[in-house]
Amino acid sequence: MRIAYLVKNFTDGDDLSEYVKSLAEYAASQGHDPCVISFDDGSNYTVSDNVEVERFQLHFDGDSLYTWAMMMNNEMKAKVVEKMKDEEIDIIHANDWTTAPGAVNLSNHLEIPLFLTIHSTENQRGFQGQNSQLISDLEWEGTFEADTVFANNEDVKNSLLFDLDLTDEKVCVADPLHDGWQERILNRYREIIGKEEEVEVEV
Amino acid sequence: MRPLFVTWEYPPYKAGGIAAHCEDLATTLADQGHEPVVLTYGDEQETEYRDGVEIHRVPSTDSADNTLSWSMHLGHQMEKKAVNLAKNNNFDLVHAHDWMAVPGATGIKKTLGLPMVFTVHSTQKGRDGIEGQYQETIHNLEWYGTYEAEEVITVGREFSEEVKHNYNVPEEKVNYIPNGVDLEKFDNHTNQLNYNDYALDWEQIVLFVGRMYPQKGPGHLIEAMPQIIEEKPEAKFVMCGSGATEHYKGIAKEVAGEKVHFPGYVSDQELLSLMKSAEMTVAPSVYEPFGIVPLEAAACQTATVGSYTGGMKDTIIHEYTGLHTYPADPNSIKNQVTRALEDPGWTDWMGDKARERVEDNFRWEQISAWTTGIYSDALE
Repeated sequence: MRIAYLVKNFTDGDDLSEYVKSLAEYAASQGHDPCVISFDDGSNYTVSDNVEVERFQLHFDGDSLYTWAMMMNNEMKAKVVEKMKDEEIDIIHANDWTTAPGAVNLSNHLEIPLFLTIHSTENQRGFQGQNSQLISDLEWEGTFEADTVFANNEDVKNSLLFDLDLTDEKVCVADPLHDGWQERILNRYREIIGKEEEVEVEV
Repeated sequence: MRPLFVTWEYPPYKAGGIAAHCEDLATTLADQGHEPVVLTYGDEQETEYRDGVEIHRVPSTDSADNTLSWSMHLGHQMEKKAVNLAKNNNFDLVHAHDWMAVPGATGIKKTLGLPMVFTVHSTQKGRDGIEGQYQETIHNLEWYGTYEAEEVITVGREFSEEVKHNYNVPEEKVNYIPNGVDLEKFDNHTNQLNYNDYALDWEQIVLFVGRMYPQKGPGHLIEAMPQIIEEKPEAKFVMCGSGATEHYKGIAKEVAGEKVHFPGYVSDQELLSLMKSAEMTVAPSVYEPFGIVPLEAAACQTATVGSYTGGMKDTIIHEYTGLHTYPADPNSIKNQVTRALEDPGWTDWMGDKARERVEDNFRWEQISAWTTGIYSDALE
């Protein structure tokens, strides 16, 4: 499987980046073909040679994280479409609201499955920042359009169920603090894509 | 060709001139055998086919903190719609109109891999300046639009230079195509104005049409009113437009009393009647990339007294189709309005010449042909 991991930025020590790095490296170790696509903030990253990383520039300064992220998604889409020309992408896996709008449109346009990991919801963050409602709307849209939503832990799952009205079957808890979380995610990929047999999760 | 227009306003929704511009251009393109599709804002998802144009409306949000966030959200919704529409019949290119269309149009360009054309109708720097972060972000979006577009269209000759300078756009990428007027609309309209609703029989209407903001200069005209009235008591000022109307009305009533009238909402039909009945229109704009009022007045065979700025340098020929004034100069406005009132025969003659010039230079058929030429360049 060729998997495009979409993440706001990709840098050593950052929670989302480490999550994506770990997952992508695991996918590569299982014979898959992961590609991380993120904004290039100029920082350093280290990752296995088996993981392709594509970073892109954005020549736009927003007045808020929301406006910046929306325009960042445009560049991200261009990068995915460009990668798609080289070789088919089987799965899009986005992370949090910052990559959800682009992922939704790419999944629809390319007609490939969409997976979304929610690391925390706007409700959990207090719903107090600028554009909180719009951000929460993007979380809802991303989770609504996704084939499967991964929650980082039970708290996130509860917020997804109660704040964003997801159904229990659609949410899969894959907690990076517990062994086997990457395999759990890969199993969901296989289940949705229906290409490979499910592998037992060892907990 | 199948261009996808991206515009936040399209009739019947209209706040400024972009809606009318898009409608006239799209309709004319359809008349010429193209298949324009319009993607625009609406209260709800709906599709309409009007005058050969396929119009899709998508809603935005009530939760945005400001217009910037609102336009980002609208852009995302527009892109979703475009992706679905493209599955049945893809577009040749995407054509964005002003900064509010940039998020959506660039998203569509990137996802669907389409060339992009960007029409700049005005700039943030010219409208309000770029002092704060919010204004600067709009300026950045305008830059981004010019950067991403294969071809940039500007609506004024002088304005082209402003766009090149503000956003460092290469010379060969910027194309000047003026706005136009739909002459049929003016010719098919019957003047049913009840003149006495606006002026007494012996009075001559001096008409202002435009949004009541400093950029349009209503304050400079109001400042000139007492002197004009003193020299030409037959002058009756009629001020039409939305915006800070009450503010300007208060000032105008103080200096001109009954000689100025603010009619409030005026229908499109009534406005045409007013333009046809007025002795002249006055366009005292301080900043005006194009300025459609002199052309609409010209279509009504009415001359315009307008500032020598931006697009009005091209749309008014001094002492031939109207009169120029120094921008932001009440004394200059007084001099030229008084000249026009002094010699009504000459003013009518200028109105006739203005009409002839519009027929020769500002027809949508011509503008549409130029636009498709730009489309071809973008597709190369």
